[in-house]
Amino acid sequence: MERLPLERKVLSENDRLAAGLRARFAEHGILCLNLVSAPGSGKTSLLERTLESLAPTERVAVLTGDIQTENDAKRLARYGFPVRQITNGGTCHLDGRMIERGLEGWDLAAIELLLIENVGNLVCPSSYDLGEAAKVVVMSVTEGEDKPLKYPSIFFKSKLMVLNKLDLLPYVPFDVAAAEHNARQVHPEIEIVRTSCQTRVGLEDWLAWLRRGMSQRVAVQV
Amino acid sequence: MHEMSIAGSILEAVRTEARRFPAGHVQKVAIRIGGRAGVDPEAVRFCFDVLVQDSELEPLTLVIDFREQGEDLDLAYLEVEDGAAAART
Repeated sequence: MERLPLERKVLSENDRLAAGLRARFAEHGILCLNLVSAPGSGKTSLLERTLESLAPTERVAVLTGDIQTENDAKRLARYGFPVRQITNGGTCHLDGRMIERGLEGWDLAAIELLLIENVGNLVCPSSYDLGEAAKVVVMSVTEGEDKPLKYPSIFFKSKLMVLNKLDLLPYVPFDVAAAEHNARQVHPEIEIVRTSCQTRVGLEDWLAWLRRGMSQRVAVQV
Repeated sequence: MHEMSIAGSILEAVRTEARRFPAGHVQKVAIRIGGRAGVDPEAVRFCFDVLVQDSELEPLTLVIDFREQGEDLDLAYLEVEDGAAAART
């Protein structure tokens, strides 16, 4: 019996694809963000408000992942920017190959901001690098404040936490300070913005964060 | 539940390495999982066994070295029964 050391990551093939994507994004000066949340935290609504706030001349594109249906792409396509649905037929996350296929036929030179909406899931997407400059985790006030403690991996790997559905605070027993404290316990440097996609509170903070990222495209790399 | 994809990636690596030993058979593959990897070792084992069953890789044992700390999700080593070497003896 012969023992052979392997010593590489299980997902080294995905890491290779992600490195290729990251190089392409850098070459074209694209800021790519990977939005992750539990199902129903408001990723699509946040993207709707984002696209609606941008001038039609902005060079933005969206890839949105779901297990089934083109519903999200239909919702997002109304704003006139290039949007493509990735339906992966059952996989609980997006991977580098799906992003490569999703980008096929798009002129990357015409894109400055690429927003990827991952499949609603706080566990699996944290393992798959998509070549993004940063992950953004969306959490809403209808969830438990301890979510960052229960799913530390994604909060640890995200540069920004968007605390969404702020308009529902009067109706739910949610402690904002505790939730933010929990996120910082897992990831002390995590940045936080609070938003409501209904009242539009805090959207300016989110858009300002996006603009900062775009103006410092190298600095945002994590 | 991305453990099925993870198990698939492990088998992909085994198949790639196995090509170097056309006369041999990979008996064992070992991985390391860290507590922060977001991967459940028992689920990986379950998916692994399902994928190996009735495939050309059977029999193949998965060894999991789980560590509380860290984000590791690494392939550690393979053990190969080298048929060519066995034939020489």
